[in-house]
Amino acid sequence: MPQLNPAPWFAILVFSWVVFLTIIPQKILAHNFNNEPTTMGAEKAKPEPWNWPWY
Amino acid sequence: MMLSFFDQFMSPTYLGIPLIALALVLPWTLYPTPTPRWLNSRLLTLQGWFINRFTQQIFMPINPGGHKWAVMLASLMVFLTSLNMLGLLPYTFTPTTQLSLNMGLAVPLWLATVIIGMRNQPTAALGHLLPEGTPVLLIPVLIIIETISLFIRPLALGVRLTANLTAGHLLIQLIATAAFVLLPLMPTVAILTATVLFLLTLLEVAVAMIQAYVFVLLLSLYLQEKRL
Repeated sequence: MPQLNPAPWFAILVFSWVVFLTIIPQKILAHNFNNEPTTMGAEKAKPEPWNWPWY
Repeated sequence: MMLSFFDQFMSPTYLGIPLIALALVLPWTLYPTPTPRWLNSRLLTLQGWFINRFTQQIFMPINPGGHKWAVMLASLMVFLTSLNMLGLLPYTFTPTTQLSLNMGLAVPLWLATVIIGMRNQPTAALGHLLPEGTPVLLIPVLIIIETISLFIRPLALGVRLTANLTAGHLLIQLIATAAFVLLPLMPTVAILTATVLFLLTLLEVAVAMIQAYVFVLLLSLYLQEKRL
């Protein structure tokens, strides 16, 4: 099985961790959320339509 | 004949560039970085909603000390889901079929949960090796068994993801080849095979998401265990 070829193992390890530690958390942390995450209440809110900016 | 189907998993290079590098770097262009403005675009809101709900779901059973893992596990989920899903497109390479990548993610993260557990509460962490209520005679055997099951976790974590995705891709390629070869010979059978292929692809889409989720869920479970 070509996956068992040990030659690129270290390179793949290093590269994937670099991507995993630098690019992604930055994008995730930049999301800000207005409300504290709470468990949902019993009544369902009726969603109102609003305009999405187009880009 | 069987061996040549595994060629799709060889780390491909094109003009000297290992394509796994592209496969690892380019998916994040699909995730725009949010700016401080309150009203975001549709895509950004959907991604933010997903991250928010997912993090809440995973971290609800974990006591607040463990919540510092939120970024790690959320990034892991996004990482694995995107790589798995994009790998289902034609001509793409799925980095998560590489055992090196999955083991490289599983072993350090699992080891981190174990080490944190040992540092914070060493007695309780070692106590996990012996379930409550075991008969005295069985204690040595059970400790050995529990130790083995502890050490097999990272192996299982990595290999589970690799095997599921590899098997899925392999099946897709096999059935697609079968449908293609059968087309001039027995068109009806070929059409049936194509239907099977379609259903299989839908399954693979589900598997892609589920496997990523299972990976992260198990890690959070190991975390829970160690901190309790």
